[in-house]
Amino acid sequence: MTTTARTRTRARQHARVTRRAPWSAIALFIAPVMLYYALFVLYPIVATFYYSFHTIEPISGKLTATFVGLQNFFALFEDDIFIRSVQNTIIWATAGPIIEMATATTLAFIVYFKTPFHRFYRVAWFAPMLVSGVIVGLVFKLIFNFDWGLVNVALRAIGLNDLALNWLGRRDTPLWVVIFVHYWATFGYSFVLLVAGLSAIPEELIEAARIDGASTIQASLKILLPMLMPTFITVLILSFMGKMRAFHVVWVLTGGGPMHFSETVATYVQKRAFSWSTLDLGYPSAMAVVWFGVVIVGVALINRWLKSRIDY
Amino acid sequence: MAHSISIQPTGKANLVGRRLSVGLLTTGLMVFTLLVLIPFIWMLVMSVRTTGEILNDPYGLPSIIHWDNYARLLLDPKIAFYKYFVNSAIVTVGALVLTLILSTLGGYGFGRRRYDFKLRGPLFALLLFALMLPPQIMYIPQFTMIAEYGLLNTYWALILLYAATGLPVSTYLMATYFSQLPTEMEEAARIDGCGDLRMFWQVMLPLARPAVATVVLINFMNFWNELLLAMTMVTKPEMRTIQVAMMNFVGEHGSDYAIAAASLVTSMLPVLILYLVLSDKFIEGMTAGAVKG
Repeated sequence: MTTTARTRTRARQHARVTRRAPWSAIALFIAPVMLYYALFVLYPIVATFYYSFHTIEPISGKLTATFVGLQNFFALFEDDIFIRSVQNTIIWATAGPIIEMATATTLAFIVYFKTPFHRFYRVAWFAPMLVSGVIVGLVFKLIFNFDWGLVNVALRAIGLNDLALNWLGRRDTPLWVVIFVHYWATFGYSFVLLVAGLSAIPEELIEAARIDGASTIQASLKILLPMLMPTFITVLILSFMGKMRAFHVVWVLTGGGPMHFSETVATYVQKRAFSWSTLDLGYPSAMAVVWFGVVIVGVALINRWLKSRIDY
Repeated sequence: MAHSISIQPTGKANLVGRRLSVGLLTTGLMVFTLLVLIPFIWMLVMSVRTTGEILNDPYGLPSIIHWDNYARLLLDPKIAFYKYFVNSAIVTVGALVLTLILSTLGGYGFGRRRYDFKLRGPLFALLLFALMLPPQIMYIPQFTMIAEYGLLNTYWALILLYAATGLPVSTYLMATYFSQLPTEMEEAARIDGCGDLRMFWQVMLPLARPAVATVVLINFMNFWNELLLAMTMVTKPEMRTIQVAMMNFVGEHGSDYAIAAASLVTSMLPVLILYLVLSDKFIEGMTAGAVKG
């Protein structure tokens, strides 16, 4: 890299004597971060792809790679747990962002119009974002406890005994509990981002609309909402990516259980790679590769779909 | 209420209606806020009660405030929770220092026009690419790499990998900040014969203090709260970070709710205190990375 850099410098020196690129300084500033990134991020990504075509097993105490071609990928399609974890994660990454964007946008508008106590709301609603996934999982495990969890105590108190379910022990509710709890932990982030986006819109626009006789709601929908779109897309993508990678909360809250009914790709990769003694690192790598593709395609789709709807 | 003269008959009705709707809205939002905060409140209250009281009435208030849950948690030699606090502190501070060195240098190189060259844009895009990726796509080889260097179950494993996860966003934040600083000072210093490194260290970095603070806050929180790498790279009980320790501790002492709650509060304390003191700075910092991008 340095030799090509040097030849380029020389070429530039001949072309323009006035300004020389300070190559040693560039190397000093940029090289450390890029080398570190190459070693600890890029190399592992490439290696995951390499692993996904191999069986990586410890043979006599040493990790040995055996080439298996596409076998890992074929096996994925017959793995019921993997299929369920994909379904669960996709349900989550669809429902989660929809709920989050709908409520966070509404709340952002309410706060934008300087409702009393708006500063307090901002600080309070953002607070769950700071709590570690472990704490969130542990606390909500108690809150959804069948016998004395807050949810069931409240439901029984208002006479809805039939609705006081064993939230974390059934086949149909655990995934939704996970979705709800993760929503609790993250909606404040989306909310704060949207408020920042709204504050960046010039106030004259709203005032002009007000003078023209528009009500607050009209002004919000017709002027602010379209102007907010770029931020909205960014926040939606962040929310989507957050659900696709979420691990901490599920791991602690349900561990993917019962019977994999709340399994996600992130928890299943962890199980196959490290928690279960399956000992093969190739198969979970294949899962990660598939998931990498799904995340990138998902982000691209959201971006394209929404951008095409704005540029009218 | 006293009579007030209104020019239009509808004006007064409107005002009352407005007051009423603001009142309703405020009540609704306060109830919502209470629901958001209940888990915190409940956790705090449980941590100063005894397990007996909690089992009797999970939602009661403490009769006497029992600080001894905390004393037991930290001092009881069988629990010795402070060890994990120290582990987390070492890992977090170590990773922060490494992230700061690399990201301030990198941010300066990527942010200032003086250091522009043909491939700089693509390199920066490559660095930001990682922001999009789930950790699953890299952590299996990261594990084998760390194992190969014999670093499993050491502080270094987490320091090195946390720094790697913190780098993209930190470098991005530093680069945007540096790119907005004016060039006059730089030029003046250069005429005085100031070299690039001294320029960075003595002139520009002090100007970028707000961005450094943001980088510290965001990464501090992420490193302190991390679980996936912490449970994968470190399996020795005495080397655990506070998050892993808490997860196992509650698993083992699951029925001792009071002390479990105390462990949650203790582990949250550093981030929570920072937040209560610097909440605006915190929120600004976490939005800075996203909205502009």
